[in-house]
Amino acid sequence: MITYELMLLLRIMPKPEVKQVLQRTADQIFGKGGFIRKIENLGTRDMPYKTSSHGMVHKQASYFLYEFNVPPSSLADLLDEYARDVDVIRRRIYKKREPEPFECTLQEEILPPPYRKDVQDMIADAKKHDKPKFQSNTGLDYYPFQK
Amino acid sequence: MNFLTIRKLLPVFNNVIIRTSTISTTPGRLSKDQEDQPNFDMDNPFEKVQMKCILCKHNIQVDYKNVKLLSQFQSPYTGRIYGRHITGLCKTQQELVQSEITKAQSAGLMATYLKESCFLEDPQLFDTENPIRPHKY
Ligand SMILES: [Zn+2]
Repeated sequence: MITYELMLLLRIMPKPEVKQVLQRTADQIFGKGGFIRKIENLGTRDMPYKTSSHGMVHKQASYFLYEFNVPPSSLADLLDEYARDVDVIRRRIYKKREPEPFECTLQEEILPPPYRKDVQDMIADAKKHDKPKFQSNTGLDYYPFQK
Repeated sequence: MNFLTIRKLLPVFNNVIIRTSTISTTPGRLSKDQEDQPNFDMDNPFEKVQMKCILCKHNIQVDYKNVKLLSQFQSPYTGRIYGRHITGLCKTQQELVQSEITKAQSAGLMATYLKESCFLEDPQLFDTENPIRPHKY
């Protein structure tokens, strides 16, 4: 089961209206057979860039974050519903990223180029495209005939 | 001259080792001799410390909602993401930072053509004027 995160930017509205919009957007998730884990209010602030949606230019927005589970096939429908909602300025759904442990490879990356694995692979790859050289099979390390 | 003095010292040093081995045959001195033996099981004390990038060192999870952190990897003039040769991050972390920045910009959390003015005073994590990766030469 994949947990999704929905970033919802709402236009500036009085509180009761914001509540209505949040209820509406949450109901659409429930309607798709999903459930909500968390709703976070990230505050109202100036947007980093102005956005025009539904014929209006917005420079401020209220940020809301939903954490929810829903069948993956219904994500497109959900985004489509929010796109048609006039109170929503912007919406994005991302997968909630689980932190995977990995090793820092900086030490190998700062080695001189000939010692790096990716450079060695690159050189080996380039050698494949070299023209085949004629083998005289004389057993000598020089050309015995006059050139 | 230094080399000569070392050469003179070497035979003396060998004698000392031979003498200790003769003493070790006596049962009374054996335990003390074993005490003085070097511990060969220990890790290499001359092994160099492995360098780590700044995010791995402090074990920081990069997230697209953490705009204050992400904006430190963004140019204040063009809003573009600094490359690996400037940030000094390892390959995995750099890719993570880049993908999280694009996510944040797409979600309307982060500026695209500039760094937001509230983050301009943040401390510098790396020297943008000197875009060279750390090396030992
Ligand atoms: Zn790292």
